Amino acid sequence: MSLKTLTRDWEPMSYGFLDASAKRELRRKMLKAVAVPGCQMPYASREVPMARGWGTGGLQVSLTLINPKTCVKVIDQGADDSVNAASIRSFLAKVSGAPTTLDTLKADLIQSRHRIPEEVLREDQVLVLQVPNPEPLRSVQPNMSIARQMHADADYGRMWLQLYEQIVRSGRIMQGASYPSMVNGRHVMTPSPIPRWDVPKLNMAKHLTILSAGREKRIFAVPPFTRVEPLVFDDVPYKVEDHANLTCYRSGVRGLFMNEIPQEDGSSTHEVSDSEYGVKVIRRADGDDTVLGKTWYENGEMSS
Amino acid sequence: MLTVPTANAAETRANQTFDALLWALSRPGMPRDIAPDAEVAIIDALIDRECKVYCADPVLMPHILKAGALLSDPTTADHAFLGKLIDVNVLEYLRAGTDLYPDDGATVVANAQIGAGQLLRISGPGIDGSLQINIDGLPQGFWTKRADCLRYPMGFDIFLIDGGRVIGLPRSTQIEVL
Repeated sequence: MSLKTLTRDWEPMSYGFLDASAKRELRRKMLKAVAVPGCQMPYASREVPMARGWGTGGLQVSLTLINPKTCVKVIDQGADDSVNAASIRSFLAKVSGAPTTLDTLKADLIQSRHRIPEEVLREDQVLVLQVPNPEPLRSVQPNMSIARQMHADADYGRMWLQLYEQIVRSGRIMQGASYPSMVNGRHVMTPSPIPRWDVPKLNMAKHLTILSAGREKRIFAVPPFTRVEPLVFDDVPYKVEDHANLTCYRSGVRGLFMNEIPQEDGSSTHEVSDSEYGVKVIRRADGDDTVLGKTWYENGEMSS
Repeated sequence: MLTVPTANAAETRANQTFDALLWALSRPGMPRDIAPDAEVAIIDALIDRECKVYCADPVLMPHILKAGALLSDPTTADHAFLGKLIDVNVLEYLRAGTDLYPDDGATVVANAQIGAGQLLRISGPGIDGSLQINIDGLPQGFWTKRADCLRYPMGFDIFLIDGGRVIGLPRSTQIEVL
């Protein structure tokens, strides 16, 4: 035995930035997260050259999964070109040499903040969601030790109470994003701050979703074909945002999730939130042979 | 940083192995290709000094020691490499985690033959409806014992290795012996 056999060759930087031991820890935790869908698994959450709370959790998962052949797409609120998405994408490419894309259909790995792309994801794709607050019980139980016990006991009465109070006070459920959802009939999770529109996309989906909170050091997952049911009362059906009749002012797309753009005269126009889908529709109208994937929603209704 | 780091052989192998494991565990019962020396590849991808490993297969021992893991008995191990399983009772002693920390449940790797022997119907997360598979090479009563030891979300997660193929059976999977 010599020093040579015990050590590895010197490298200026580990492939994919994270060192081998960090990746092994993440791998072990990701397997456990998949084994117990929706249950928050603590993990070490290493330092990455980005401030905590800016997608470090998702970034670490992506860095672990990435290899030189993985085609990466990064979005932030549906847009590929926002600062956060663009910097994460360029960082991923720089430390891994992986190709990047804006097209959902061409991506193998999609890291996202606060949206799920509108085109249906396939079984060979992995969606990584950045999670600011992984604890759905935090608003009703700030003590995380007690919250953990509540998850262990499947004690979700206070979640229902919170939704009930919203109905009593406001006449409807006010929870807009991070709608608490029951996964596999056992654990309530926050689907990350995706709009209500996106939650049904996780239910019995074909793709694997991994949700990772870097600041809070928790990771959880929704495997394919797993039930994800938003908490609803029998007599108050789950409602997604009413965007069926909105039209994107740029691409003319209708029936998809829209961003509202306030105008000077007090009115507002809308543009499609999944920016690359809008771009593809415009390209297609211009005569390019762009392939548009099947969308989850058609005319504002979940199709499936 | 001007140059893109290149993946060395160890990193590429670990990445591919983990990709296979994650895919297999996400889609229980569906075989996935893995390196021919699957158990060694799994050790390289998952095991390091932070792990406690129970190893029943002497062939794997040098690899586990090289990874730096602490050898332990089944009751405290977080990873168990059972090799060719003979006594089904070992499942009783495996760590199943707690309701508070289900992630403390063990990861179990064992040898089996995929596509022959006992017919099983499996269902649960990752499976579109239900799926039928044949598994051979496990001792009598393995599936009953597994069901007895699991109380979801407590339990252990099994990888069955058949040469260059792996199937994952997480604790969330219900297995019916037909």
